[in-house]
Amino acid sequence: MKVFQPQKRYRLHPGYIAWILHRVTGVLLGLYLFLHIWVIHYLAQGEQAFNKVMGIVQSPLFLVLEVGLLGTVVYHGINGLRVILVDYGNMAKREIFRKAVYVTFALSAAIIIAGGIPMLMHAFSH
Amino acid sequence: MAEKVTFKVFRFNPEKDKKPYYQDFEVEIRKPGMMVLDGLNQIRWEMDGTLAFRRSCREGVCGSDGLNINGVNMLSCITHISDLKPPIVIQPLPSLPVVKDLVVDLTDFMNKFFLVKPYLITYSPPPDKERLQTPEERKKLDGLYECILCACCSTSCPSYWADPEYLGPSALLNSARFILDSRDEGADERFEIINDRHGVWRCHTILNCIEACPKLLNPTEAIGELKKILIKKKF
Repeated sequence: MKVFQPQKRYRLHPGYIAWILHRVTGVLLGLYLFLHIWVIHYLAQGEQAFNKVMGIVQSPLFLVLEVGLLGTVVYHGINGLRVILVDYGNMAKREIFRKAVYVTFALSAAIIIAGGIPMLMHAFSH
Repeated sequence: MAEKVTFKVFRFNPEKDKKPYYQDFEVEIRKPGMMVLDGLNQIRWEMDGTLAFRRSCREGVCGSDGLNINGVNMLSCITHISDLKPPIVIQPLPSLPVVKDLVVDLTDFMNKFFLVKPYLITYSPPPDKERLQTPEERKKLDGLYECILCACCSTSCPSYWADPEYLGPSALLNSARFILDSRDEGADERFEIINDRHGVWRCHTILNCIEACPKLLNPTEAIGELKKILIKKKF
């Protein structure tokens, strides 16, 4: 007997989307960690080398990408708190589990917009 | 002319087909409040007698007819056709091997259910009459004992799809039903089984099981209760 991939994909319930985003942002944060260590390791090679690499990561391109970093960190953090409360609080209750996901999305979006606007203004003021 | 709804049904006959295919049927709405199961019966009785699907009680108690309908697991017997957006895509429960058409092999699902010892375990000598519990203790079992083993929750879970050894929301909810029972004395031996990376810790709180459960139970919450007990035991 064989298992077949269904033609119609399983519906993306809010909790399912939240989990997929949590996984994606988790992987991105892992990759960012390597980038971060790579930048920091220039400290060991003296002032000039470090200033040079800092010049690259403070270019407008990287400043725009930093908004993405903000989004990744904020979403992963807030959703992580929700996941903890699902397991060890009462956020798995039928009445609130969906609302909690929407609150996570809304709160993350609000913080990303509030932080992203000044960051973008700074990036384009160069 | 009666109104008609298109059913797009997953078909697979292992004796004839190499690959599954989807067949369209026009189901006639003959009375208000027709369920998806009424439509499937109409197909089998009047259009194509070879269509295979499970059903028994046709009122959401036996748990035979768990199906993936329009991308969500549910019981066809308690789902109104009018609540669904046509065409109604009917697929077997995801991640389980297909026996024929909409019939899936539930052996693995049932084995996992028996693994968590879903029966009363006692070591103390039995009292003269029955083992009593207070109304409060009994209340703790509400939302746990009603499980009908339809497999809608387990097969809706991406962790269950990805990890063939994961016990799944249904088995874990049923272990919680006995672990939280004041009369039961087998909690420790059950924790030995479920305190595992393929047990409670594989639950990533994706919440699909809550959305899927046709009896409105809450497997994620039950798994959360088990995680809380395990953490408290550790510290």
